[in-house]
Amino acid sequence: MDSSDATVKQVRHRILEADKLKNCFECGICTASCSMAEMLGNEYGPRKLLEDIYANPEEALASEAIWVCAWCYRCYNRCPQGLKVPEILLSLRKTAVERGQTQAFDKALQKIVKHIPLPLIATFVCYHPERAGLKNEEVIDRIEQIREEMFGAKKKEKTGKSSKEKIAIIGSGPAGLAAAYELGRKKYAVTVFEALSEAGGMLRKAIPQYRLPKKLVAKEIEFIEDLGVEVRTGTEIGKNLSFEKLKKDGYGTFFVSTGAHKSQKLKIEGTDLKGVTHALDFLWDANLDKKIEVGHKVVVIGGGNVAVDAARTARCLGAADVTMLYRRSKEEMPANLREVEEAEHEGVKIEFLVSPKKILGENGNVCGIECTRMRLDEPDETGRKKAIPIEGSEFTREADRVILAIGETPDLAFLPKDVELNEDGTLWVNPLTMETTASGVFGGGDAVTGPASVIEAIRDGKRAAVSIENYLKTKKED
Amino acid sequence: MTEDQKQQSKQDEPRIGVYVCHCGLNIAGSVDCAEVAKFAATLPHVVLAQDNRYTCSDQGQAGIQKDIKEKKLNRVVVASCSPRLHEPTFRKTCEDAGLNKYLFEMANIREHCSWVHLYDRKAGTEKAKDLVKMAVAKATLLQPAEEIEVPITRKVLVIGGGVAGIQAALDLADTGYKVYLVEKEPSIGGMMARIDKTFPTMDCSICILAPKMSDIGHHPNVELLTNSEVSEVKGYIGNFHVKVLKKARYVTKDCTACGECVKVCPIVTANEFDVGLATRHGIYTPFAQAVPSTYIIDMNLCLNKDGVIVCDKCIKACERQAIKFEMKPEIQEMEVGTIVVATGADVFDPSVIPDYGYGKFPNVITSLEFERLINAGGPSGGHLIRPSDKQIPKRVAFIQCVGSRSEKTGKPYCSNVCCMNTIKDSLLIKEHWPDTEIYVFYVDIRAYGKGFEDLYKRARKEGVVFIRGLPAEIREDKRTHNLWLIGENTLKSELYRTNADMVILSIGLEARKDSETIQRLLTLSRNQDGFFLEAHPKLRPVDAATGGIFFAGCAESPKDIKDSVTQASAAAARAGILMAKGKVTVEAITPIPFPEKCKACGLCIKVCPYNALTLDKEKKRVTVIEAACGGCGTCAAECTFGALTQSHFTDEQIIAQIDAITEYDANKKTVAFCCNWCSYAGADFAGVSRMQYPAHARIIRTMCSGRVSIKFIERAFARGAAAVLVSGCHIGDCHYINANYQTQKRVERTWKKMEQNGLNKERLQLLWASAAEGEKFATKIREMQSIVENVKPEEIEKTQKVFEKALEGS
Amino acid sequence: MPERIRHPPLDKEKMEQVQTEIHLIEDQCKGCGYCIEYCPRKVLEESNEINARGVHIPKVSDISKCIMCSFCTAVCPDFAIFVEEKPARKVKED
Repeated sequence: MDSSDATVKQVRHRILEADKLKNCFECGICTASCSMAEMLGNEYGPRKLLEDIYANPEEALASEAIWVCAWCYRCYNRCPQGLKVPEILLSLRKTAVERGQTQAFDKALQKIVKHIPLPLIATFVCYHPERAGLKNEEVIDRIEQIREEMFGAKKKEKTGKSSKEKIAIIGSGPAGLAAAYELGRKKYAVTVFEALSEAGGMLRKAIPQYRLPKKLVAKEIEFIEDLGVEVRTGTEIGKNLSFEKLKKDGYGTFFVSTGAHKSQKLKIEGTDLKGVTHALDFLWDANLDKKIEVGHKVVVIGGGNVAVDAARTARCLGAADVTMLYRRSKEEMPANLREVEEAEHEGVKIEFLVSPKKILGENGNVCGIECTRMRLDEPDETGRKKAIPIEGSEFTREADRVILAIGETPDLAFLPKDVELNEDGTLWVNPLTMETTASGVFGGGDAVTGPASVIEAIRDGKRAAVSIENYLKTKKED
Repeated sequence: MTEDQKQQSKQDEPRIGVYVCHCGLNIAGSVDCAEVAKFAATLPHVVLAQDNRYTCSDQGQAGIQKDIKEKKLNRVVVASCSPRLHEPTFRKTCEDAGLNKYLFEMANIREHCSWVHLYDRKAGTEKAKDLVKMAVAKATLLQPAEEIEVPITRKVLVIGGGVAGIQAALDLADTGYKVYLVEKEPSIGGMMARIDKTFPTMDCSICILAPKMSDIGHHPNVELLTNSEVSEVKGYIGNFHVKVLKKARYVTKDCTACGECVKVCPIVTANEFDVGLATRHGIYTPFAQAVPSTYIIDMNLCLNKDGVIVCDKCIKACERQAIKFEMKPEIQEMEVGTIVVATGADVFDPSVIPDYGYGKFPNVITSLEFERLINAGGPSGGHLIRPSDKQIPKRVAFIQCVGSRSEKTGKPYCSNVCCMNTIKDSLLIKEHWPDTEIYVFYVDIRAYGKGFEDLYKRARKEGVVFIRGLPAEIREDKRTHNLWLIGENTLKSELYRTNADMVILSIGLEARKDSETIQRLLTLSRNQDGFFLEAHPKLRPVDAATGGIFFAGCAESPKDIKDSVTQASAAAARAGILMAKGKVTVEAITPIPFPEKCKACGLCIKVCPYNALTLDKEKKRVTVIEAACGGCGTCAAECTFGALTQSHFTDEQIIAQIDAITEYDANKKTVAFCCNWCSYAGADFAGVSRMQYPAHARIIRTMCSGRVSIKFIERAFARGAAAVLVSGCHIGDCHYINANYQTQKRVERTWKKMEQNGLNKERLQLLWASAAEGEKFATKIREMQSIVENVKPEEIEKTQKVFEKALEGS
Repeated sequence: MPERIRHPPLDKEKMEQVQTEIHLIEDQCKGCGYCIEYCPRKVLEESNEINARGVHIPKVSDISKCIMCSFCTAVCPDFAIFVEEKPARKVKED
């Protein structure tokens, strides 16, 4: 889009035609799927914004709504017309920046700080790209400024309310931290249990440094601790401490947000060769700044966000040739489209319709992968087209490092039997109250949805916090 | 026309009258018609050239007739709309004035010119001039011709036994024609037999259908062939030779439908009629009111399928000894004059939308399953029960537009019947269980027909809640199997989370998967959604482009029962017109042999899709069976000795058109050959849709792309054309069965030659585009613009040298 | 009509097959193989066991497919095989 004569009418015409906004029949599915619409309430909704582009494009460009999209792509996945709403908003953002209409960005930041838990993390992982031309440091400072104005200066709080209502949050990922943030602000006695040595879950473990600097996670955890929340790292429920013991210790309400950290095993030969790692382990090591021999020819197997993160991290660490192999086509790739584009920009190659058959080794080290080409067939029960191998299309490609990222599942073995799971191993919750089949036990984040985005986990945490509050209030009345 | 007149027009100098039509502002808005008329007057043999506002009007036609008589015109050219629209009109005008109708030619300056070059008046006018020049050049060489008459068999084949097929069959049988009604399933009735009540009258569906079905069963003029499929169709309008495969029922007509056999049959499976919600046995009747009432054995499941009688329980139970395992499938052959296609539509399978949980959550059902549940003759005796616990739901939600109006899941069109179906269903529920709460989640309520709005208001009065906003997802409570629907109420701009005991997805209608088979058998066209394409969407809505074939019901597009029945009667009337006449005239576009040049090589016979040519090896001549000829012209293009040409599309006429295009500025133009049935129609469609594209192409119409011989392409290049486009029907969909395979071969041969001579083979383009693919055609012309602009003079010179042999003779 | 039938029939208990037991009088079998060949559900197959007559006797490969048509009984020339319905499950309490 050339910047010189980007009149509003031209932008609208382009979006109507090229971005297919003409197909929108205003069903409201995008707003119903939007993580932000739920948290911001009636003030924000993608459908209303899309309608404004038709009726009042000037107003749309000047509103703060265009800065608030968190790029989770849930709207795109569900839209019956396949509209890429985040992309539409991005072009509006770019136009607004060109026209110098960036006041709305500050207003948006204020809304975010008011309604969204963990605003620093969310702004960096979710609300990028295009921060109205501001530098990262400026945005961080501004958010902290707004937060101080809204919630008062930092001071250490004592644990609030009666210690009878002790709430245990298992897992300090974005869902757990968001719940802690909200409950802490409401002055409940909250303890967050984290199995790893550092809190943050996927924020620390998997999301690479250049996407989310460590210091932001540290700042948020500091804020939460200042609210009186206790964060206990190095405590794995089910190993160091059992669920029953927690109950005995007086915790009456639980929020299970352990995420999805169990890497799915690839059932082919050669996964035990040296040089073959699971993506989560690879990313954790990278985030701990351990020295990693990343090799020259890296192959990443998988098409989700973790695979993309692993590929980009490998590039950052200096691998010359990084290729991702995904068994379906670009349309079926579950990774966030934005991430994929940035990865391709950075030189990551992606090969579609390829599946690994065997990992080849020499003297115990990886030296190559035998792959087959796939073709797409009728959709299966998940709605995605099945990938069928094409007979006789095997080929070998060289590799000295293989990273497996074919999916993660939650590990919920530590839960008591009355908490029911779904067939795929995720936690079943009532979608309105986030309560599991066991009273007083709530769940959210990747543990419930399977691998998803940070903003969805934050949304789950906030929803659960509201629900826990209601639960405790009604319990008190009984 | 008398012999004298014939002789006169053959020998006389051509006296051509050219009429350039304004068509109101349709043409005049972007083409300077007066200038075109002035230009036409300067062309050789043109004695009269004028522009008028509406040539097809009574006034316009009268004007032409007057001029034919007074100015002694013996050729007429009208430059106006597409010949696919008005060629018959003007041909009649000429005939009525005493001029042979084959001495008339049209130039398409509307669909192919004024409508697609709306903003480039100069280029549009220049192109219009070229098109008129081409038409005049061809008209100069036209010769009078007589059409032969072919008798029509007064019998009809109706394919499909749903309500549309039944209605068409009854109308035709009542008129007195013999009807063969072929139905794939064991019983007629189709979709209508499955539903409970019909909107807007709330009549019981099977009650109003059963008398019609019974009439079919008893009608003396109807031969009912159920459990049968059409396997072969040969021939042409008025004379179709059809083979029908009658699959074996294994039960004879002695069956009295007593049902004793069912009681002893050990095989139990899901019943397709009840959409899998009830069971049936290996020997069964699809439903109680089936016509014919004879039972049928599902041989895929029967224990005797390997040919050995392992289980004889049903044989023993049958008092009439009607079960015969020796029965074999039969082929029945028949001669019919017309065919009515009433094959119906399929429904969308919502399992591809994982967010709605169809197939995972037991209480999410489709509207078709709902019909069976609420039908008193259905699996639950008319009780609307939840599949999970067989309880009556207290709160029901309907979701509209599932699989319709969507670019991503299902189809992009509106399925027409689902809104009214939901309104009717909600009233049915309220009738039986007035306390059940009903929510309808919609985007638009389409209640356009007679009595539809009243029904909608009735539903609102009964307390049905309509919420505008489709749910984004459905979640289930594991223990109770109740459902949550999460969506946005777009009128209130609020998110809703509604609880429901049962969710009914209003699924859309889709084209049947086996419509491809029917398409191949009958050489029909389908649009991009898979429904059959009618000859003209407004003026000929039940005719297929292929003569003698008509459509009725959902085979042509989704519609409700009233429209299906209306269309069926219309199709019956149209078929009746043909058969009442008793004969049909064959267009005079058959081949003309020149025996003195014939070398009896037999190539023409090999390529003829209709076997309409026979070779007399002794006399070394080829004879044409005019009645069997389809008029494609492939034989003429195949003959390298010039011993065959096609009447009204002779080699000379086509070459004259090529020469007319390439006389001036050939290096800026594309010579395009389009086949009448698909690509020319596609270009027309692009015009109707006002798709804009550059003005470098000049289209020469042939009946089939198979008419385009290599020497035409070579001639175009030899005359210096920048590019050549050959376009036709998709391979496998050729209107003349398989003539376009020859087109492909010839273009590939020319490409090879161009490559071998170091020429840019991109300058010869091959496009397969159907009548519905206007966008494809427009895109191709846009793409070719860069080829035309970038071709270098040296390249053109080189091409001319390579192909100069094609310039010999004309 | 929809090919993928997604909901089980409401009366799916009717689809439950009868539970059978196939009894073989081993030493009467002469190894002709008729029962194996003509079983419409391919429930039987040749086993490696040899009986007193020195022939391979049939064995059951998948009893769940047996539908008790009793054709094996009818076709056996030596009356060496017969099928019985397994004793019914416990009667439901009233």
